[in-house]
Formats: sequence, structure tokens, C-alpha cells
Amino acid sequence: MNRTILLIEDKPSLLDTLKSLLELHQYRVIVAANGAEGVAQARLNQPDLVISDIYMPVLNGYELLELFKQDDALRKIPVIMLTAKTEIEEIDLALEKGADGYVTKPFVFKNLHAVIQKILNKGTEEM
Amino acid sequence: MPYQEILSAIPTPVVICSHQKKRLLFVNTPAATLFKKLTNTKRGVSYSDIKIILHDFSPREDSGQVNSFETRQPVRGKKAFLWLEVITSTVMQDNEIFTVLLINDISARKTKEQQMVQSLEQERSLHEMKSNFISMASHEFKTPLTAISSTVDLLETKLQMDNLLDQFYRHNISKISSEIFKLNTMLDEMLTLSTIVSNNIEVSKQAVAVEQVIHDIKYQYFSERKDDRVLQVAVTGTPRKIYADKNQLSKIFTNLVGNAFKYSSENPAVKLQYQKSRLLIKITDTGIGIPEKDLPYLFNSFYRGSNVASIEGTGLGLSIVKDFVERNNGTIFVESQEHRGTTFTIIFKYPQETPA
Repeated sequence: MNRTILLIEDKPSLLDTLKSLLELHQYRVIVAANGAEGVAQARLNQPDLVISDIYMPVLNGYELLELFKQDDALRKIPVIMLTAKTEIEEIDLALEKGADGYVTKPFVFKNLHAVIQKILNKGTEEM
Repeated sequence: MPYQEILSAIPTPVVICSHQKKRLLFVNTPAATLFKKLTNTKRGVSYSDIKIILHDFSPREDSGQVNSFETRQPVRGKKAFLWLEVITSTVMQDNEIFTVLLINDISARKTKEQQMVQSLEQERSLHEMKSNFISMASHEFKTPLTAISSTVDLLETKLQMDNLLDQFYRHNISKISSEIFKLNTMLDEMLTLSTIVSNNIEVSKQAVAVEQVIHDIKYQYFSERKDDRVLQVAVTGTPRKIYADKNQLSKIFTNLVGNAFKYSSENPAVKLQYQKSRLLIKITDTGIGIPEKDLPYLFNSFYRGSNVASIEGTGLGLSIVKDFVERNNGTIFVESQEHRGTTFTIIFKYPQETPA
């Protein structure tokens, strides 16, 4: 069965490309243009994994993580953060708030895919 | 010679008054001129004019006490004002307390001071704008850069799936990718250098496990390489934490390890040697090396070795590295032989144990 990934990114061009890339790699992809939309989509679709940008209007990546961790239905969904900030503190903050992985922009898709697979496989092992 | 004559000869405004009897005792010519300017009339100076200048300032009544203050006085009937510096002292005579006031018109000095403060403020905000601009630009540039690099990945994936990814496509696609990441490195270096130059770098030191930082950067930047090379890490001695800025340590190692990959074709190595009183970190590659004549200038901004012509770079990396190492009380030096390889050694002392 294809795994479902919720992709949250406010730049339409990147969102579109990443969606196609993930679909070519056999994932089912749901998209959202900001954190608030992302939370709504996550509640509706219960994805296996969320990939989210950090700097977005309406609800940013950190706020998204906080909402996820407070919500019983969303708490267990792993989240990968995409960020253009390479500063260690930013990454530390994301991990502190409960992100399961991070990839800095720009990235090679192979690297993002490796992180996705690592997290999804970890979920399977535990089951 | 009566004291009035002596005081009249002083070119600075002088006033003597009694607060008890609310009267003026003496006003010299410069003081009279000053008050005419302030009250914008031709009448003489009255006690109430002095009271206005003193407003809520009450001179100490103990004899000989000297006080001074600055006050901004409006010029009556005009939209102008004067800045006055008032020096007061008190004299007791026949049970009456007299206040002596020396008044300086410091308007010119104040105007200059304000202009200086203003231009300093202006410069500061310009500086901030510049620094914000570089930070904003380097962040904003990454958005399209990420979209481009992902689109290249998408094209490559699709070509591969359709069995069209031949040598020609592979070669040119990897060229686009490598240029994108070069541009990204330049943006990062520009951002770092701009923060160093504007001296905005905040060093926030904490106890750091260096092997963890090495592990993090290895995972973040130097894994899954297209050429399958890996960073070898070796640790000797008992690991101890050092007191340093984690973010800066990470930039130091990312840069040096990045260079080691860039200027060699084999696996670079990081050796952490935990010695008795210090930590030695050696970053070694077996690459093209650095010509001896370049070594003294290696850490200068924009200086690049004479044998790197075909390898791109900004010449900023090592100057940033040296700055960061020194900000964290470390030392760095380089040993290199052309065609043999290069070793950068960084030394950090352990934090002083506080005696119990």
C-alpha cells in the first residue's frame, strides 16, 4: 500500500515539484499551502508522514509542531522540517519541539528521500 | 575694587541672587544680553527670569556647594530655544544666602552633539539595513534555488524512469546541481562574513561535545555523496566537553571538512585527540596540498591558493574559520605539502575546573 505524505509548503513552485517527485517515488501526496491548512489536512487524512516548511504565513512550522504534539490524533505522525536556515539553533529548536528529522534547503532529493525512508521504516519496525 | 566691577569684566554671564528675599543682587552685561535674547524684550532682568531658568532646581544652601545642570530654554515669542549650562554656588553673608550663577550658552555645542547623535543613529540604521538585506537576500535566494534544484531532481528521476538518462543528460544535470550548491555555499559564506564584519556575531558559549558536532555535520552535509566518499572519524582519549559556541564550531568543521573533500579525491579524516589538558582536532586530506608560498596568506579574506584555479571558491571560508576559532579561544594552524595533502590542526583547552 502506498504511504501517504502530507506536504506543507507556501511556495507553489516548490510544492508542485516536490509533489511530483514524491509521486514518482510511489507516495500518495496531499498538499497544504500553510500550517493551518496542514493541520486541517492532517486531521482529515491521517498521513503517515508530514514534510513541512518552517517559515510560512498563517501558521509556521514551529507552531504546527506545537499543535501536533497537543493533539492526540496527530501526536504520533512523524514530521520532517524543511528549512533554509542552516543555523544549528534553528534545527535544535525544531527537534526540541518534536520534529523527527530536518533537511536544509536547498537539498538533493536523494537526501530528503533517505530521511523519509528512515523515518517511515522506523515506524514499521515498531509496529 | 568692588566685586561688581570685577564680575562685570568676566565675559561669561554672571548673576547673583537671593532666594530668600526673591531679589537680584547683580547681573553682569553678558547676563543681561543673554536674558534679553531669552525674553525677547528690552526690559531688564528680573528675579522671576532667573527662577524660570532654575525651574525645579533648588541650589543646595550649604555654603560653597557647587552644582551644575543643563537646561533647554524657549526664546519667548519665537520657535527657537537656547541650551544653557548653569553652574551655581552659594555664599552666606549676614545671615542671607546668596546664589551665584554662571551661565554658559551651549546651544552651538548641543546642536553639534545632536547632529552627531543623529548621524550616528543614521549610520547605525544603515548598517542594520545592510546587514538585514544580506541576511534577507541570502535567505530569499534559497527559495528559488531550492525550487530549481528540486526541479532538476525531478527531471533526472523522470528521465531515469523513462530509460532516457544517458551519459549526456547525466553529465549536464549533475553540472546544474553542482553549480546550484556552489551558489548556495557562496550565499552562506557571504552571510557569515557580513555578520562578522558588522561584528554582530554573538558568541554564546556552552559545554559542547565536539564528537557530537562532528557527527551532526557528517550526517547533515557529508553523507550520501554522489562520489560515495565518506568522512572518517577517529577518537582517542577520553572525550571531554569544551566550552565553545556550538554553531560556530559547526561552521568551522563544515568548512574544513568541505575543503578536505573539495581539494582531494580520497576519504578525508577527522581525528579527535583528547589529551590531558587540551583537545587536538586534526582535519586531514590527501589532496592537492597548498604551495608553500601561499601558506602565510591562507587565512586572509579572499586569498586563494595559487593551485586552485579550476576549483571554485570565494576565498572567505578560511578567514571565517580562523575568526571563529579565535573567538572560541582556540588556535589553528596548517601543515601542507603540494600533491601530498593538508592537515589543519585546531587546539582547544578544556574549561578550567573550578576548585571546590
